[in-house]
Amino acid sequence: MTQTHAANCEDCPVHNLGNLKKLGINMAEFDFVVALAGNPNTGKSTVFNALTGLRQHTGNWPGKTVTRAEGGFDYGDKRFKLVDLPGTYSLLSTSTDEEVARDFILFGQPDVTVIVVDATRLERNLNLVLQVLEITDRAVLCLNLMDEAKRHGIVVDPRGLARDLGIPVVAAAARQEEGIPELLKYIYEVANGTYVCRPHRLERTAPQLERALTALTGRITAAFPDIPNARWIALRLLEGDQKIIDAVRSGELGSLIRRTPVRQNEQHLIAGTV
Amino acid sequence: MSKAAQHTSDTDAILATANTLRWEIGDNIHDTLVESIYTDAQRIASRSVTEPDSKPKFSMDRQLDRLITSRWFGFPLMFLMLAVVFWLTVEGANVPSAMIASFLVDTVHPWLRAAFSSLGSPWWFTGLMVDGVWLAMAWVISVMLPPMAIFFPLFTLLEDFGYLPRVAFNMDSLFRRAGAHGKQSLSMVMGFGCNAAGVVATRIIDSPRERLIAIITNNFSLCNGRWPTQILIASIFFGALVPSHLAGLITAGAVVTVAMLGIFFTLAVSWGLSNTVLKGEASAFSLELPPYRPPQLWQTLYTSLIDRTAIVLWRAIIFAAPAGAVIWLVSNIHIGQLSLAEHFIAASDPFGILLGLNGVILLAYIIAIPANEIVIPTVLMLTVLSAKLAGVGDGAGVMFELDDASGVADVLRAGGWTMLTGLNLMLFSLLHNPCSTTIYTIYKETKSVKWTAVASVLPVIMGLVICFLVAQVYRLLA
Amino acid sequence: MIDPGKALILFGIITAVLALFFLPKYGLTDRWKRASRGMQRVLIEDALKHIFDCEYKNIHCTTESIAGTLLIPTDQSAELLTRLATMGLLSTNDNGVHLTADGRSYALRVIRVHRLWERYLADETSVPPTEWHASAELAEHTLTPAETEALAAQIGNPHFDPHGDPIPTPTGEIPPKQGRSLLSLSGGEFAVVTHIEDEPETVFAQLTAQGLYVGMQVMMIERSNERVRFAANGEEIVLAPLLANNLTVAPITEEEPRITAPLSPLSSLSVGDEARVLSISKAMRGHQRRRLMDLGVVPGTVIRAEMKSASGDPTAYNIRGALVALRRQHAEMIFIQKQ
Repeated sequence: MTQTHAANCEDCPVHNLGNLKKLGINMAEFDFVVALAGNPNTGKSTVFNALTGLRQHTGNWPGKTVTRAEGGFDYGDKRFKLVDLPGTYSLLSTSTDEEVARDFILFGQPDVTVIVVDATRLERNLNLVLQVLEITDRAVLCLNLMDEAKRHGIVVDPRGLARDLGIPVVAAAARQEEGIPELLKYIYEVANGTYVCRPHRLERTAPQLERALTALTGRITAAFPDIPNARWIALRLLEGDQKIIDAVRSGELGSLIRRTPVRQNEQHLIAGTV
Repeated sequence: MSKAAQHTSDTDAILATANTLRWEIGDNIHDTLVESIYTDAQRIASRSVTEPDSKPKFSMDRQLDRLITSRWFGFPLMFLMLAVVFWLTVEGANVPSAMIASFLVDTVHPWLRAAFSSLGSPWWFTGLMVDGVWLAMAWVISVMLPPMAIFFPLFTLLEDFGYLPRVAFNMDSLFRRAGAHGKQSLSMVMGFGCNAAGVVATRIIDSPRERLIAIITNNFSLCNGRWPTQILIASIFFGALVPSHLAGLITAGAVVTVAMLGIFFTLAVSWGLSNTVLKGEASAFSLELPPYRPPQLWQTLYTSLIDRTAIVLWRAIIFAAPAGAVIWLVSNIHIGQLSLAEHFIAASDPFGILLGLNGVILLAYIIAIPANEIVIPTVLMLTVLSAKLAGVGDGAGVMFELDDASGVADVLRAGGWTMLTGLNLMLFSLLHNPCSTTIYTIYKETKSVKWTAVASVLPVIMGLVICFLVAQVYRLLA
Repeated sequence: MIDPGKALILFGIITAVLALFFLPKYGLTDRWKRASRGMQRVLIEDALKHIFDCEYKNIHCTTESIAGTLLIPTDQSAELLTRLATMGLLSTNDNGVHLTADGRSYALRVIRVHRLWERYLADETSVPPTEWHASAELAEHTLTPAETEALAAQIGNPHFDPHGDPIPTPTGEIPPKQGRSLLSLSGGEFAVVTHIEDEPETVFAQLTAQGLYVGMQVMMIERSNERVRFAANGEEIVLAPLLANNLTVAPITEEEPRITAPLSPLSSLSVGDEARVLSISKAMRGHQRRRLMDLGVVPGTVIRAEMKSASGDPTAYNIRGALVALRRQHAEMIFIQKQ
């Protein structure tokens, strides 16, 4: 394990310090790390700018020719580092952008992942949202471009969406700075554990795949009882994802555990049912 | 069993189970998975989204799209847009370029010389640092900075507005036939500003093979540092052939022809690469046309100045400084009666003449590799040096430029230049290795020595062969 | 100065000499590369592969069949078998030759590289199907084990090659042969193509030229000794039985919709019209397929053709609210039902 936290520290950060260092993120002056994910053309960079202002700089992901923007902001008494992930449609394909985004959420275990979606194309954007929620259970949805949706006569109900997805949903128009205060508040609450997400997980797939998934998930939870996303790991193994195969083989998977005590109880319940 | 052994057997069992299961579930897992995700997405979206009852009849976006992608207006509109961007860049850059040049070269340079000698620096050190390093940097900054500071923000504004993806959409069929991606048209246009920036811009192409093609061929876009060379040489050797009221037109025509030739080579080499060495590289096509959005002016200015202009300029300065030192050194280190530069020029002149060029041009392109901006000042200095012209320039190793083209023409003619030399210099300026900033950028982007070498050597070979052929045919006909 | 005419002639000669050596396919270097395939190691590996193939398909393998496949004289083929036996890769009994455990694992290693390479070419590159096999024949003898595993990792450790053959695992596991010949279908019976034999090359080229690919739905119409008539994705195809025997099929599941009429491709949708996606052709593979699905092209999606590019291709489609440009060649592989 790369990081130890006091077992009963409820508002402690959960990020994986060792892996973050490998990913080139320096947490020296920050309490929490927040990842910013989203499809291309959803106004993600506007949200990034609205959150960080001029406290930002750009560079590359280590060893990759993918641009990375980093910034910081303070909220309450905490200091947050915001990392902009490449804009992607999915986390399942093999493009470098998707690999970078996926690896950061999986291995870096950010305290919060903010997913920016375009309110006018919610269905398409939910593809990425649902995939992110398979990996992490600490996320906030930023329903951006609400002004554009309104202009097109599209009505979106953030509360219904929050109920269905099990994470906070903020209606925003980042250009006009609308919704940014609420977004900050939810990031803060999810980061310090006041808001506990119950993320939507994929329920049914095809029967044949489902049988295989159940069998493999069982084996994974038996060997790594504390990981928060065993089913997703099983899926990736069934797709032959080399990075995940390596993580299983090296035992690195064992370090990607859930760290919040509140979640620990629930974890035992899940493990018990398998 | 020890804990470690237990762990290994657990993980092995997991991987073995996964493997067996994969034989059973077959090859469709990705399809099945994406289908189930979208089924969920659809269900969730339908519960919280209410679409308007009737689709609006008039959609601004569609109207605009219909115009921009129309069979008749699509391409003329694109050329008009590009022309406006280039015109703004060239016109807008003229005054600040001249101001920066006069400040850095005419004011700071003598001041630095004076300062160095008053501090007791030996003549050679002053020469090396002030005449070599400082002048090279001054030239690069004054030629490079103003156009880039105008071109890049304009380009970014068009990108943010949503126009550029439509250009890629319109251009795709041309690039598809060459085995490339429509988005390559964008990195190509970016290359007209600066090849290093053009190479970085290929990041928008998400298919590895097409991206590599775009990187390798970007050098065929005539960059900011080469436009002035083209214009100067064209006006001396082609503009001067016709009456003065037509000179501007002929000069412009010659330069545009060379730029078009560059586009032709981009497509031809793309086609060649995609059908031979890059046939086996990974390839896929996707292109989203985002909705039109009003660009955010200040944010665009800020990011394009910081991300593109400043980084490229900084790299160029870093590379120009040592080049300035080398230029000064080769002209001032003597073996026997002659400087290194003169030895090289004398030795390579026959080869240069064979190619329709000369020894001065070959040497200039070797030592001015860091930046195309300093090729003409170097050529002038070396011509004066090797032809022993009196009364022009500022001495050995001191690059200079002349205010009027006729002065330059006199120096070049005195150096033995003919119409063929001018023509072939224009061709060689298009077809030679990328500047070292670009080579470095290509390496950073591809992480491959092999592809960096291909991108660097291929254009030189093409340039040498084409100059050679043109020279022989010209001599046969003349 | 050199006379320009002479210089041009000299240049022509140099170009010709360089072309003689380095021209792709016809140049000397490429010819040498191909000729070097006749080396001992290559012969051994090809022989092992052939014998493995016989055993896998339960057919009889002879000195003659080896000679035929490897394009060598029969006496050399007999010599080769003796050599394999002394190396401990082969054992002989009354029924003919058999692979030993060592021979089998050697053969499986070669086959793994071959099939992985074909899958790589099919999924990730623009190399046409008819060139996959020849390219893999070269790669199987040249890729090192480390390179092979890196390749496998890069393309997601696939379990099947593009012809539908299973790819052996690094430890040499391979499932038993499944499926039956297309010829075994009775009139009106539906099935799915699971394998297209890729040897000999001319047969494979003929089958792909008919538009056949693994994953296609077929329905037998009628069969006689002269010809086989069947529908592939609703389109009628007539083949000689000898050719049709190279297609292996498996039964399709209950829930799979039966295709009874030719499918219309997305490329046939006129601008302004809408359609529902029925399926994506299995001929669309790898990265391109994944990318399309990520963008929301899955069965059931309603797509509207919005506009053509100024040059006529690609076309922009409204897919789940987003405007996405698809090239005609890809739109042809998405099957739709017009609304």
